[in-house]
Amino acid sequence: MNWLSILIFLPLFAGLLILLMPPAMQKGYKYVALAAICIQVILSAFIYFNFNPGLYPGIHVQDKFQLVERLPWIHIGLGSLGKLQIDYFLGIDGLSMPFLVLTSVVMLVAVLASWEIKANLKGYFALFLLLDTAVMGVFSSLDFFLFYIFYELMLLPLYFLIGMWGGVRREYAAIKFFLYTLFGSVFMLLVIIGLYFSVTDPETGSHTFNMLAMMDPANYGGDSIFSVLAKQQLFGVSARLLGFIVLFVAFAIKVPVVPLHTWLPDAHVEAPTPVSIILAGILLKVGGYGILRICLSIFPDAALQSAWWLGLIGVVSILYGGLNALAQTDLKRLIAYSSVSHMGFVLLGIASVTTEGISGAMMQMISHGFLSSMLFFLVGILYTRVHDRQIPHFRGLALIMPRYTAFIIIAFFASLGLPGFSAFIAEAFSLIGAFTSENVNGLLPHWMAVCGSVGILLSAAYLLWTLQRMFFGETRLMGGEAWRTALSDINLRETVALSTLALFALVLGIMPSLAFEKMNVSVLELIRLVNHK
Amino acid sequence: MLAASLPLLTFFISILIPGKISRGGYFAIANTAISLLISVLLFTQVWNKQQIHQQLDWFTVGEWTFHAGILLNNISVMMMTLVSGIALLVHIYSTKYMQGDAYISRYWAYLGLFCFAMLALVIADNLLLMYMGWELVGFSSYLLIGFWFTRQAAVKANLKAFIMNRLGDIGFLIGIMIVLTQFRTLDIDVLFGSRGLVHAAFVENGIWINGLHKMPGIWLTIAGLAFFAGAVAKSAQFPLHTWLPDAMEGPASVSSLIHAATMVAAGVFLLARIYPIFNPAVLTVIATTGTFTAFMAATIALVQNDIKRILAFSTISQLGFMILAMGVGAEASALFHLVTHAFFKCLLFLSAGAVIHEMAHVRDQHNIQFDTQDIGLMGGLRKRMPVTFITMLLASLALAGIPLTSGYLSKDSILIHSFEWAEGRDTWSSLIPYAALITSWLTTFYIARLIFKVFFGKLRLEKQFAKSFSVHDAPAAMRYVLIVLAVFCLFPVFSFNPLLFEDAWLPAGFPVTDTMTRVNMFHTIIPAAVNVMSVVLIYLAFRWYAREKKMPGFKAYMVYRFAENQWFFDRFYNRIIVGGIVSLSKIIYGFDRVVVDGIVLLVGKTGIVLAGISSLTDRYIIDGLVNGAASLAGWTGRFLKHFQSGRLQHYYVTMLLVILAFFIFKYYSAAI
Repeated sequence: MNWLSILIFLPLFAGLLILLMPPAMQKGYKYVALAAICIQVILSAFIYFNFNPGLYPGIHVQDKFQLVERLPWIHIGLGSLGKLQIDYFLGIDGLSMPFLVLTSVVMLVAVLASWEIKANLKGYFALFLLLDTAVMGVFSSLDFFLFYIFYELMLLPLYFLIGMWGGVRREYAAIKFFLYTLFGSVFMLLVIIGLYFSVTDPETGSHTFNMLAMMDPANYGGDSIFSVLAKQQLFGVSARLLGFIVLFVAFAIKVPVVPLHTWLPDAHVEAPTPVSIILAGILLKVGGYGILRICLSIFPDAALQSAWWLGLIGVVSILYGGLNALAQTDLKRLIAYSSVSHMGFVLLGIASVTTEGISGAMMQMISHGFLSSMLFFLVGILYTRVHDRQIPHFRGLALIMPRYTAFIIIAFFASLGLPGFSAFIAEAFSLIGAFTSENVNGLLPHWMAVCGSVGILLSAAYLLWTLQRMFFGETRLMGGEAWRTALSDINLRETVALSTLALFALVLGIMPSLAFEKMNVSVLELIRLVNHK
Repeated sequence: MLAASLPLLTFFISILIPGKISRGGYFAIANTAISLLISVLLFTQVWNKQQIHQQLDWFTVGEWTFHAGILLNNISVMMMTLVSGIALLVHIYSTKYMQGDAYISRYWAYLGLFCFAMLALVIADNLLLMYMGWELVGFSSYLLIGFWFTRQAAVKANLKAFIMNRLGDIGFLIGIMIVLTQFRTLDIDVLFGSRGLVHAAFVENGIWINGLHKMPGIWLTIAGLAFFAGAVAKSAQFPLHTWLPDAMEGPASVSSLIHAATMVAAGVFLLARIYPIFNPAVLTVIATTGTFTAFMAATIALVQNDIKRILAFSTISQLGFMILAMGVGAEASALFHLVTHAFFKCLLFLSAGAVIHEMAHVRDQHNIQFDTQDIGLMGGLRKRMPVTFITMLLASLALAGIPLTSGYLSKDSILIHSFEWAEGRDTWSSLIPYAALITSWLTTFYIARLIFKVFFGKLRLEKQFAKSFSVHDAPAAMRYVLIVLAVFCLFPVFSFNPLLFEDAWLPAGFPVTDTMTRVNMFHTIIPAAVNVMSVVLIYLAFRWYAREKKMPGFKAYMVYRFAENQWFFDRFYNRIIVGGIVSLSKIIYGFDRVVVDGIVLLVGKTGIVLAGISSLTDRYIIDGLVNGAASLAGWTGRFLKHFQSGRLQHYYVTMLLVILAFFIFKYYSAAI
């Protein structure tokens, strides 16, 4: 067992433990979950500090990964067809390691937010921990089949968590979310199978699901469907381009990018607070991570070919999401749309295929992970107190909830990219990457970065407008005196959770090197890989 | 470095320990005082000597390391001393002015954050750090404008200020991106130093070349315009000036420090730091914008009645002068005016604050309602608040550019340089110096109007309420601050010669384009013209506003209303731009719900309909076939079972018929 496996399966065991505990110990469930996730945080911190960035760029060479664990899992001889080879193959590099830390921290906050869950605790925490396992698995698998299993495994608990513990329209939202995401991943499976039959493992000579093998054009069979040299066509389109597009669409739904984003506002609004936190904080990053790890690395030629379109989609997402957020009256929906806008920077940065752009995109994912969790946590606090989150129903909250307002101000300003917080560095570098792209590799024109920068104006507009409408002025609440008593200021548990997130955003904003130095070599290696072909 | 971080300490201490110590603000004052000491020390070390440039590695992106460091040269130590000096005075002033406010510890915290950000902006050695300070001053200004957050007007004003500044920040960011792409560094010294990369780069055949890096020449212009956009927003220039008058919703002490003396000057400072990047086309834009803003704001200031708004428009106008000076290449004059303006405008605001403070005192004491900032209700305060009167008078003389004051020196140098610049250019260019000259007369008039309305005549408030009020000078802490500032409005601080700006020591510390010597007649004619006309204008204002005699009915004119409504910029922005964007966002949201989500739902519904159809097909056609086959079998069975009757005679008959039929068939088939 290596550390990664422990990290992945620890929550699963905690979940099983909860299932086995008698209902009389119902109050203990959350503590078991909290304990498991605390251990996970410690483990991931341990992994972070022992992560050696210098000599191990990872990306496409197994020896350059860290904490590698490779066990034969399903090996079946298929006679003349060769051997079916699926490995239990884990490993991390600079692209995946930051997400392990992010996941464990966001999970910690989510479990603290789960204190508000009152119904059917056993099922809730068991599913919650299963989700944790799946996410950790996605970020550490290097075998495409294993990746796919974890990827699909995320959907199952989420479906139930939204559908059973969610808001009024929870069933609609859960089904919409589930089917939408499944739609993307089913086609992904076709590409995975296509890749499997195209690629042979140079060691064993049999077909393989090993992602790293898929990144080397030499491993493709001479006339296989995805061969780089054969230039096969499918439906009149280059097969590799088609494969890239299918994978991209699957991940783009997760990110989400305009116009594949409409599941997100519904799912976020209907999901209970902890699930919104996980959705925004981690699951959206799976999309971005997938694009980097899989789309870019396995289909670099197609990625370069479609970079312009990716950048365009990124810019459109930034502006479109921002404008939509401006029109919202529901605070949670506003934040959901702001996620669309902020994740647009990720896509823009990735599309530039420059070191600054991809580093910026990575940073944006990490930063948005902390900040969107914080925002959803804050909305959840308001909602659990008065069961309302319509912006016009509140005014002057600063007078009755000063500490809450202080955290709101921190979260809002951090999200809109105030220097000193991580989002500033992230957005600045995504844009810088997009801007330099025309001179470095000619992929994106300058105007895309210029248009993208309007996004930082929009985010200031919708966030500060909300601040003005809800928090400043004389206190006036729709629910009158009843609300005023219900709206108590934040308690210790909430303060701890919010301070943790704020601190991460602040530290990364002042010392971005904490993240950059761990991923620099990997980003450089990735760019080298993409440009090589 | 320490000087900058001390105020930050104030911020954290005040925000985290809201105890009795931080309420008094002594801690904040002590920190600012130490900052000032360090600044002065650095000033003596650096001024006209070797610049200090120190840096540390900050972070690395890819193979590209960013540094964080400080660059101290003449301009930055001057700004440092100015900022910490004025900040210290404002801190002392605030102890009385803000006394008794419920959230005073927050006030000290925000001020501390502002000082930190401003000092960081000033000493930053690269554009990224400077941008960070730039945004942070915007943020602290946001907090301070909205300090009285229960007031609707205040929270609207701070939103407006932040958004408009953000607009400029985008420009700054775009500028950074262009510079970074072209030069691969953001180090100010490396880029803009005397042997810097920007000097070395050149435009040839429409291509902007720096070594191996090339960009179309248009990007040099765009970079200049983008940086200038940042300065326009921060220094409240047309068309982004409308946030500054609204920002007066904050406390008067804040207005004086941030919105008059220091932060708004950051735009001018930025232009000075990156001056080499501006090409002639951009410089012309800068000069034109500055002149237009100066003129426009001065006309608005003529007719306002809110004391702080008059000063706010005056600030915009004076900043316009500085920007104009930058545009005509008079960098030294612009910075000189920045310094003198910082002192006299700060003093004007603080004196106005003292007056407002007294008015509010009257209001609270007698429990009556009136606008404490309306100069229409003031008057006759000369005798009741003598110290305030004298100090404010000195500041006004400096603003008007009357000899013996600091403002005379700096303003004349700007005017003279603009005339010199226009000479030898086409006739359109001479619009700029003449407009500036007219503006300087307007300045004299509006400030004279203000002084006469506030300090001369009778206290109109008493007339309105038919009561007598006791109004007296401000408390000692505030009074001393006013006196100290008044000293800095006088010429000896800057030059031993009261009449000739050429002898001032301060502008001599900055890169000078050409003439600091009296080469031509402009140097004599212009000061004379300015002052002769000024005397006439002051006399007119005295007659109209102090004696209240024979005032023409200006209010009837269109022009008056145009100016009173601030040239309708606010209304235009609110209706057309803000309204437009909000409507656009609603339309887009509608599109999102109806079209984008509609397609998804349509796909979903199509799925359901298809499922329904296939369910029907399944039930009636496929299952129908299966059932049909089954019932066919059953039917056949039921039909055939009649043959299985069990009676032998039936079987015999059947067999006989079959055999008979066989032979008949056989017989005929053979025949065929």
